[in-house]
Amino acid sequence: MKKNGVKMIKINSKNVDVFYGKKQALFNINLDIEENQVTALIGPSGCGKSTYLRCLNRMNDVIDICRVKGQIIINDFDINDKSCDVVRLREKIGMVFQKPNPFPKTIYENISYGPTIHGMAQSKNEMDEIVETSLKKAALWEEVKDRLHEPGTGLSGGQQQRLCIARAISVKPEVILMDEPCSALDPIATAQIEELIDELKKDHTIIIVTHSMAQAARVSQNTGFFHLGELIEHGSTDKIFKNPENKKTQDYITGRFG
Amino acid sequence: MLEQNPSKEDLKDADYYDIALKSMADLDPNANEDQENELKRMVSYFFEREIKRELLNDPSLIGKTKDVYLTASDDLDQVFKGNYPRDLPEDQRRVTDYQLKIFDQLVELGKVESKFNLSFFTYPDSREAELAGIASSFMGSIFSILVCLMIAFPVAVLAAIYLEEFAPKNRFTDFIEVNINNLAAVPSIVFGLLGLGILLAVFQLPRSTPLVGGITLSLMTLPTIIIACRASLKAVPPSIREAALAMGASKMQTTMHHTVPLSMPGTLSGTIIGLAQALGETAPLILIGMVAFVNTIPGSPLDPAASLPVQIYIWAESAERGFVEKVSACIMVLLGFLIIMNLFAQIIRHKFEKKWS
Repeated sequence: MKKNGVKMIKINSKNVDVFYGKKQALFNINLDIEENQVTALIGPSGCGKSTYLRCLNRMNDVIDICRVKGQIIINDFDINDKSCDVVRLREKIGMVFQKPNPFPKTIYENISYGPTIHGMAQSKNEMDEIVETSLKKAALWEEVKDRLHEPGTGLSGGQQQRLCIARAISVKPEVILMDEPCSALDPIATAQIEELIDELKKDHTIIIVTHSMAQAARVSQNTGFFHLGELIEHGSTDKIFKNPENKKTQDYITGRFG
Repeated sequence: MLEQNPSKEDLKDADYYDIALKSMADLDPNANEDQENELKRMVSYFFEREIKRELLNDPSLIGKTKDVYLTASDDLDQVFKGNYPRDLPEDQRRVTDYQLKIFDQLVELGKVESKFNLSFFTYPDSREAELAGIASSFMGSIFSILVCLMIAFPVAVLAAIYLEEFAPKNRFTDFIEVNINNLAAVPSIVFGLLGLGILLAVFQLPRSTPLVGGITLSLMTLPTIIIACRASLKAVPPSIREAALAMGASKMQTTMHHTVPLSMPGTLSGTIIGLAQALGETAPLILIGMVAFVNTIPGSPLDPAASLPVQIYIWAESAERGFVEKVSACIMVLLGFLIIMNLFAQIIRHKFEKKWS
């Protein structure tokens, strides 16, 4: 989206290096993510695209041996700074994982968990409203409105993933990170999620890691290509797929490796 | 001797020994003094109390005659059940020929009957097999287990949560882990010595009490619960933790809202296994004095008590044939207790699992 003809940059990474113990997983990543756009990260397995994604909400903190260097600036604030409150950060930056991982609780409780711990609803009515809007935005409301108090784990795979998306958007994040959200789903469920992503980009900035180049081409406006821990090329999806500058990008996109 | 219209207090205070003795002596009008004594010993040593109870229940019996069942002595009980070696010479038997003769007469008259002895559940231990009951040891076991549960469960669960979720992985925590596993393998008698040396000798806690027994047993149960709790915390899928963290939950919130509730069924079953182990434990209790002969029913964990397995041990040592049956009954109670505990655990588990799946 352009404002006054200038692209709004939501996330600005500078010289990001990531190490797992002694092994370096990411080398000097410089990547800007545009606001209210879908950015796809593609590349072969083990290239570091998921690692990069997990840097953005500091999920790598969970891994003991992982160290992140460099700056990741979101809203003029370096999230790798010591003063950064991880809880606030993760409230602003939601995440959807590869495998649907709803809490083993009811559908309602799955959605209401985030707003509850962040104190976003003052009353039961407010919470009901948040649950309803979140489920509607995730295009799941019609399917589950009669069984909100049944376990979320009883839904189908695609529904579970949409439940996870609804859970992520319940706290109104500015950015949603998606780590191969469709890899465990069938083509119909995948199509539903892709449609949903297109819808969500109006309110959120979306970064999606995907194995499927077709999916990247379908849903994203910008694409970054990772290879062996380096960001080889990034730019508008059109350009990356039709007219890549780098030979490796070309080879990967045309299916010569990966 | 009895006044007209005695009050309840008078009835309580009255001496029933003479009347009781007289009714026994009536069995053989020609008995001499020695024989009268033998007659008296045919029934339980508390026989006058049984008559008293009868009278207190129905004061209008005064001045009338009523047939009352008295508890037989344990030897005659065995005679009646056919377990007594009647063919031994008289000087090797505890039952005299005279007693046998009178007893056989009574049997012929249909005045002897086998009844269920409820006092087994309501009386404390006694040196007389027919009066010995498990009330003291049962309450002792209950109090011990409660003390054990209240100490071991919170400490073990918190320790497991800390070690599994919060502690850094370094040499020190490895060392602790090895020690916990070793602790689970320490012979129980060693814990008994610890209780004796620390709780009784240093802290001067009252001996023979369920409090000390419970603390000693909790030391034994601790590693069992820690290991079970850690295993079930480990079994919680990491994706659940990630989901909670990614929603902006703190480490503490993630643990308390998601990981710990999900691990509860496993933790509870581990706790029950530990408690069942503690319930059947004898050696440490013997060392801290819960093996004492206790003929009162404990009202709190601070009163002296025995416990069920120790009671079995005490009775199994006794020479009288009557205690063999007491031992069997006590074992059945102990096993029944264990079955009920496990059933209870299953019900709790089932409920939790329903809620969290």
